[in-house]
Amino acid sequence: MRKLLANRERRFNLLVTVVLALVSLLFIVPLYWTTVFATRTLSEVFQFPPPLWYGGNIVQNYFNIANVFPPFRPIWNSLVVAVPKTAGLVLVSALAGYGFARYTRAPGHRFLLVMTFATLFFPPSLALIPFFLQMSWFGWLNTFWPLIVPALASGFGVVWMYTYIGSTIPRELYEAAEMDGAKGLSTFFFVVLPIIRPGLAALAVWTLISTWNDFQLPLVVLAEGSQFTVPLALTMLSTTHYSDMPAVMLATLMGLVPVFVLFALLSRQFIAGLTSGAVK
Amino acid sequence: MAQGRGGRSMLKIRRNGAFYASIAPFFLIFLVFSVFPVAFSFYLGFNRWDGFSDPQFVGFANYAQALRDPIFQKAIGNTVYLWFWSTLITVGLALGLAVLVNEYVVSGKTYFRMVFLLPLLVAPAIAAIILRVFFTSNGGLVNLLSGAVTGTPSYFDWLGSEAWIKPLVVLLVVWRWTGWHMIIFLAGLQAIPRDIYEAARMDGVGRWPIFSRITVPLLLPSLAFSIITATLGGLQMFDEPYVLTQGTGGTNNAATTLGMYLYATAFTQFNFGLGSAVSWYIFAAVVVFTVVYQVIVRRSQAGAAA
Repeated sequence: MRKLLANRERRFNLLVTVVLALVSLLFIVPLYWTTVFATRTLSEVFQFPPPLWYGGNIVQNYFNIANVFPPFRPIWNSLVVAVPKTAGLVLVSALAGYGFARYTRAPGHRFLLVMTFATLFFPPSLALIPFFLQMSWFGWLNTFWPLIVPALASGFGVVWMYTYIGSTIPRELYEAAEMDGAKGLSTFFFVVLPIIRPGLAALAVWTLISTWNDFQLPLVVLAEGSQFTVPLALTMLSTTHYSDMPAVMLATLMGLVPVFVLFALLSRQFIAGLTSGAVK
Repeated sequence: MAQGRGGRSMLKIRRNGAFYASIAPFFLIFLVFSVFPVAFSFYLGFNRWDGFSDPQFVGFANYAQALRDPIFQKAIGNTVYLWFWSTLITVGLALGLAVLVNEYVVSGKTYFRMVFLLPLLVAPAIAAIILRVFFTSNGGLVNLLSGAVTGTPSYFDWLGSEAWIKPLVVLLVVWRWTGWHMIIFLAGLQAIPRDIYEAARMDGVGRWPIFSRITVPLLLPSLAFSIITATLGGLQMFDEPYVLTQGTGGTNNAATTLGMYLYATAFTQFNFGLGSAVSWYIFAAVVVFTVVYQVIVRRSQAGAAA
């Protein structure tokens, strides 16, 4: 009887695994087809049945993109925005997170911390219009500054680092550092920063990927095609040259590669980052 | 006396100088680039302004004008539709997948953990481009397939169709976000003690009652977090419908969301006052949902403590 039950259970588990494997295919088929179409000619793409394997037209497709814009330009633009922003955001967030985690008795601590948490529920669309006007007064439209400098203050990043530092650094460590004569900020740079490296990495990956994917803000502040970041450039290409589907797919693929490489290298940190918001 | 207290608090502030120094960069940037714009947006909401001439105070006229505009009303309906269906399907699917992967999958757990996350790496704008390729009327894969099944070539314009454009936006959101919610649920499931399941199974409780009576109630905090996140995103949805309809909002504004309406009033009609009023409507909706969320979380915590 028990053996029979165990057998039935095993069969059920196997069935679940097979069904889930099929469902997971639905999620990656669009990506797979993107890579296949990127290597095919226009007429091959429109055949039925559609090509399931790679073709040999990738070089020609590349030149077709190059006729519209320098294919690596948007990738470079996205890097110029994402890398400095990520470095600055991580530093500013870690510093503030450290302040909140360590000086819990400072006057105003509680109020400022609650304010920081409140910013998480703050809809970015509320600031979009005045932010655009502000950028035009600063003379920052059509530059990368609006995408980098204001983004350094991230309530999300501060809350993240506050939680992370609070749970990884014991209070005794601060006391020990103080005994050794380390002041607040040198404690941060020489004692705290080296310990919280995994937390910094997680926040950095999450910031890099979400910045890479940003669409609305670049759309509002950038007007010159030569400055377009990856999503903007691809949207433009897909509107003006939508009939050349293989070229659009190749450009799409090129824009995706950096993110997927980053994910392959740092997927553990990325996933740690996802769940950190849920665990309070 | 008062002076003495003031002197002591000055001392306290100086002793905590490192605290203020460490949070200063964050708050300064936040003040200049977030608090100021929000205050300014409040002012703009009560003014008519095209960005060039002098702003003109109009009271609540912008707020009233938005409510009377049939396109704004339609945008509310569209946003609610897209928020509701994308949240329901994404969260439901992710919950099912997470429970199945956690409880029943025999091998390849790491694969299942990763594979559903891949679409999240694809920018919403780029995902919309890929979806467009599949659904274009002339030679899109979906039409090719349906043509092959029915035997007559199909040129149905999915993206131009008023009936289909919203489900396509939902499909896009579900494709990108299911993996994220799944990871949240998997983390929540890990926190449920295994012996509860063992005990229930010993008592001969079936799979469905275990799911509905044990797993879901214990997963309530993760569920609430995942739903509020999907809701905050859903209310402000912009990228997906914008790129999918190439900025038009679709035939007859069938997929115009509040976010797109705001964008159009401000950046194509240069009616900054009206756009700001719309952003405060979105803010009001976000506040309502956030308060409801806080109440639910507090209740469930009180329930867990009791």
